[in-house]
Amino acid sequence: MAKVSDIVLWDKPGERVLLLGNQAIARGALEANIAVYAAYPGTPSSELTDTMAVVSKKAGVYMEYSTNEKVAFETALAAAWSGLRAMTAMKHVGLNVAADTFMSAVGMGVEGGFVIMVADDPSMWSSQNEQDTRIYAKFANVPVLEPSDPHEAKEMTKYAFELSEKFKHFVILRTTTRTSHARGDVVLGELPEEIKQGKRKFGKFKKDPNRFVDVPANARKFHPIILEKIEKIREELNNCPFNWIEGSENAKVGIIAPGLSYAYVKEALAWLGVDDVKILKLGTPFPVPYGLLEKFFEGLEKVLIVEELEPVVEEQVKTWAYDKGLTIPIHGKDLVPRVYEMTTRRAVTAIAKFLGLETPINFEELDAKYEKVKPLLPPRPPSLCPACPHRNSFYAIKKATRARAIYPSDIGCYTLGLLPPLQTVDTTVAMGASIGIAHGLSIAQNGSLSEEQRNPEKQVIVATIGDSTFYHTGLPALANAIYNRSNVLIVVLDNLVTAMTGDQPNPSTGQTPHGMGKRIPIEDVAKAMGADFVAVVDPYDIKTTYETIKKALEVEGVSVVVSRQVCALYKVGQMRRRGEKWPIYQVNEEKCTGCRVCINAYGCPAIYWDEEKRQARVEPTMCWGCGGCAQVCPFGAFEPVEEGSQ
Amino acid sequence: MREYNIVITGVGGQGVLTAANILGWAALRAGYKVRLGEVHGMSQRFGSVISYVRFGEDVYGSMVPEGKADVMLSFEPVEALRYVNYLKEGGMVVVNTKPIVPVQVSMGMAKYPSLDEIRKVFEEDFKAKWIGFNAEELAEKAGHVVTTNTVLIGALTQIPEFPLDAEHVREVIKISVPPKAVEMNMKAFDLGIKAAKEILGL
Repeated sequence: MAKVSDIVLWDKPGERVLLLGNQAIARGALEANIAVYAAYPGTPSSELTDTMAVVSKKAGVYMEYSTNEKVAFETALAAAWSGLRAMTAMKHVGLNVAADTFMSAVGMGVEGGFVIMVADDPSMWSSQNEQDTRIYAKFANVPVLEPSDPHEAKEMTKYAFELSEKFKHFVILRTTTRTSHARGDVVLGELPEEIKQGKRKFGKFKKDPNRFVDVPANARKFHPIILEKIEKIREELNNCPFNWIEGSENAKVGIIAPGLSYAYVKEALAWLGVDDVKILKLGTPFPVPYGLLEKFFEGLEKVLIVEELEPVVEEQVKTWAYDKGLTIPIHGKDLVPRVYEMTTRRAVTAIAKFLGLETPINFEELDAKYEKVKPLLPPRPPSLCPACPHRNSFYAIKKATRARAIYPSDIGCYTLGLLPPLQTVDTTVAMGASIGIAHGLSIAQNGSLSEEQRNPEKQVIVATIGDSTFYHTGLPALANAIYNRSNVLIVVLDNLVTAMTGDQPNPSTGQTPHGMGKRIPIEDVAKAMGADFVAVVDPYDIKTTYETIKKALEVEGVSVVVSRQVCALYKVGQMRRRGEKWPIYQVNEEKCTGCRVCINAYGCPAIYWDEEKRQARVEPTMCWGCGGCAQVCPFGAFEPVEEGSQ
Repeated sequence: MREYNIVITGVGGQGVLTAANILGWAALRAGYKVRLGEVHGMSQRFGSVISYVRFGEDVYGSMVPEGKADVMLSFEPVEALRYVNYLKEGGMVVVNTKPIVPVQVSMGMAKYPSLDEIRKVFEEDFKAKWIGFNAEELAEKAGHVVTTNTVLIGALTQIPEFPLDAEHVREVIKISVPPKAVEMNMKAFDLGIKAAKEILGL
């Protein structure tokens, strides 16, 4: 199979290919002749941005990894103001970061099509909360399109640009993990000439201060305009190709299925063997087009709304029905759970109850059987990779603080420092929050150095934050802590990429998808801001890291230690590609006393306990050769095998 | 065929997604409608992972519901057990019997069950057919442990009524792996086929 980057650029209309939902959206954007794309990565949206990164040059699209969602939003928005088709993408919590600009600029509208792709993560597979972007859409009065499969995701992306341009309004393309990270058959469409030729498109911004300056006098005019637009769009969506009524025309019962729930409803009905149902497939959960509701409700005696998370469609439908004086039962969240993701099982169970049927599988019996299996299962949470430099940083921090500090941390792979044996993550809230929380904790417990009264018993606070997160929202928090004279140590875990979402570059990497950007060393920023102590360490040298942290802890004020070592996963990937080897460490059986320090304090996943010999062992296929184990072992029992085997 | 459901389980980093992708492309080339479901991001870092492969004329969602998988392909025994409830009655599990012990077990916070205990749950409680062998050992024989997933896919193609032709799957593997690794992977694929045939008595 060809490389995905090639497939996304294939000039083969009609070809059937297997694409990830996010890749299909990238293809859709190209088919729509997009000119500018800017985003900050966030699971489950990242592959859309990564795909744009690898195809942008050939397609003549400007693409950037922005430092956070708000600036990404502003970059794309300004391009749309300049008459270009522009897109930004983020995960649901990213929209919170961009929300300030989003809510304020919506009334200004756009000239070129502007599509905001937001990937929600029901069940929180890799997120800090479960929020429903459709509520944001309703809040801002922005239409939201929601695909039910990868092919539709591609088609909908094109439509989103057209809709946006027609009404000069923002459009949200909302996915969930199961659309973004589902692969499905996608039929390629035509690529515009400009994309095929890789011609970069430039726009022109027409000044209009009455529109683009939201002083109150202007802003006051926006709100009624927004409300007028959304009602016109509601009208338009009656003819949206992604909304339709299907199933048995004379059915007495109806099911409304927005977005991906349509897939689960179809599957559930087939599984139940039920076909005497009318379905309203809804690609536009907000605003729900009333004309279609009118047609759908004709002849129905009861209706079920199967939607994931919040009752966004349900509330619109019920309000509409009440105003119409309809009295038939309308079910929704009374039968469909409001938390966690939709599944076929959930859809089957809700529909069976709605229709008074038995489920095709006795799920309770299956669950009871599985309950008996659970006690046999050891947990296997995700963990820091072998050779991960963060493990060493946490190990040194814990040792230097004798596990007595408070450890605010942040969003990234390093949040896994939460787990035993490291346990050096006490708080994680949102991107960049570690520094703000550390400052607040210090103010609450120690007082600011600028205050006359301070607590004589100092509580040590050590915050950890990654490089990408540092640039995302750590910067203003650091300025605040330094300015307000906090007493904290901030360890920036600088692995030179945005690792958790798939090794995207950031200002600490310096590289951009177009070549060299300009690298911004974190220590220079800290010094320029006036931190009281700044040092750079290599966490692969555990002793020096420990000593530097010790020293930093003695300094009053804000200390910043940059713990820099390239992401191990990234490094090993590169080495594999180049065919390079690395040393594999093994346990010298004569030297290992079975003290378990390597397991109980260090916790590398490549090290396991040999129950028979009561000694530690290294799983050679998992060792990435950092040698951290050799540094933490008090008996020098870990030794590299010269040749390496990878 | 209306639908065929495969769940692939293992530890993040073992190549679960790659295996799903290979089967997905093979199914696409066989003319089926295809859906693959996977988890990215933090959950992938050496944690427990499950991927779904679904194909047929009538597939919609990307996740296989519990109790509906025709077959499970598992890269690690405990990770097979963790998702046993996905198998349909009389389903099959093709499993690499080489364990990866979680850190929590090494720390003494949890116990790793014996292979016999695991197998018993599949065969007795869930009425499943067990095809277990050390795929990693065979992968090493083929040239490198990274071919473990190829060994397992080879074995998978031999189970009764598997709807994809082994040779079609082989073709997809050939064009998916780096050119210099083709030969090694073909060897691994054959070793997988052989192992499954022996166990199934074919």
